[in-house]
Amino acid sequence: MISTRQLRTRIRSVKNTRQITKAMQLVAASKMRRAQEATQLTRNYAEVARELLTYLSSLVDTRRDPLYAKRPLKNRLIILITADRGMAGAYNANLLKQYVELLRQDAKRGVTNTTITIGRKGSHFVARLENVESLGAYHDFPERPTGSELKPIIATLVAMFKQGQADAVDVIYTKFAGGLNSCPVTQPLLPAGFEPSAKVGEDIRHSGFEPSARAVLRGATVRLVEAQLFQALLDANAAEQSMRVIAMQNATDNASDLIDDLTLEMNKSRQAAITQELAEISGGAEAMKV
Amino acid sequence: MHLELITLLGQKLNEPVYGITIPTAAGEISVFPGHERLVTLAVPGVLSVRRRKGDSDAHLQYFAISGGIVEISPQQVRILVDEAESGEDILESESKAALERALKLRQEAGDQVSIEKAQAHIDRHAVRLKVAQLRRRHRRG
Repeated sequence: MISTRQLRTRIRSVKNTRQITKAMQLVAASKMRRAQEATQLTRNYAEVARELLTYLSSLVDTRRDPLYAKRPLKNRLIILITADRGMAGAYNANLLKQYVELLRQDAKRGVTNTTITIGRKGSHFVARLENVESLGAYHDFPERPTGSELKPIIATLVAMFKQGQADAVDVIYTKFAGGLNSCPVTQPLLPAGFEPSAKVGEDIRHSGFEPSARAVLRGATVRLVEAQLFQALLDANAAEQSMRVIAMQNATDNASDLIDDLTLEMNKSRQAAITQELAEISGGAEAMKV
Repeated sequence: MHLELITLLGQKLNEPVYGITIPTAAGEISVFPGHERLVTLAVPGVLSVRRRKGDSDAHLQYFAISGGIVEISPQQVRILVDEAESGEDILESESKAALERALKLRQEAGDQVSIEKAQAHIDRHAVRLKVAQLRRRHRRG
């Protein structure tokens, strides 16, 4: 049996762990609230871009724009958004599973692919894989991204798509849906496509375009791709924090359970020691009588 | 005339103004009420906003903007840009240091990716610095 003293030490150490996980839970909860608010802000931007595109696509044949070109799929560019840190339950593992699944499907169809990773966990994983070309690894994005972080990635993916080095660009990220409902998704970015917006302002209909409708279409398309990628980044951020809240909540609960068990065991062992001592004393007293 | 300045981080401005100067692909344009309908591309530069008719240059509000789309109609202007930073939020000394850092980065850059990255930084900070300087000049005068 473990001694009372040893048990007491273990309880103390588990209590410390619980304090840490509790603190991490609170920190993640406040970060999640902020990240969640941020996901709302981009909606407006994407909506205006979509409205413009809806009208422009009725003026200009989008199929002639290189960003809308649908080619037979031979090369795929994957943008994988993971976290920089762990301690978020199955958050990273789920993403990597989704990613590996996509790689497997592509391998079956004979599609080659390249990957750009955002987040340390993803880039470490990709670096260990054989036969996967990594084009770039971006770490330590700020908690409140401004959009300028994505500039080099957008430039790369647009250039690769235009030059035919990639026939499709997809982003894998975790869609935020609150708590455990967040799940990894694969969302196509290019070839460009958009759901037509329901409302098209009367103002746009009578406008002139400078330098040309086609140039504006291109500009608006890139904006929408950017907004989509930015939205993915914000969603991923919010989902990561919400998963971390849950993971840390579980860790805190487990620590509490463990403390209860250990305390019970310690009390038992203390009681056993007392009983034994008493037995020895009374045994000794009996012996003296004789 | 109503101005809506929309960025990736949400709406920066949504209010009536008198005039706006916007850097576009074809040069700077100034927009006042009654402008003809136009959709055009904005390039990184300085956006200046005049709130009321008769406001002096000292009262102009400056924004450092990145590229985007501008939609103009007689009574409304919508500007869709990735980033817009108000002159009030930019510290001149800070952006100057950032620009120097970016220039140094470009000199030391070895491959194409880092050169492009450095160039993007340079463009961004050059505009921010300009906005900060414009604001200081007018505050003095």
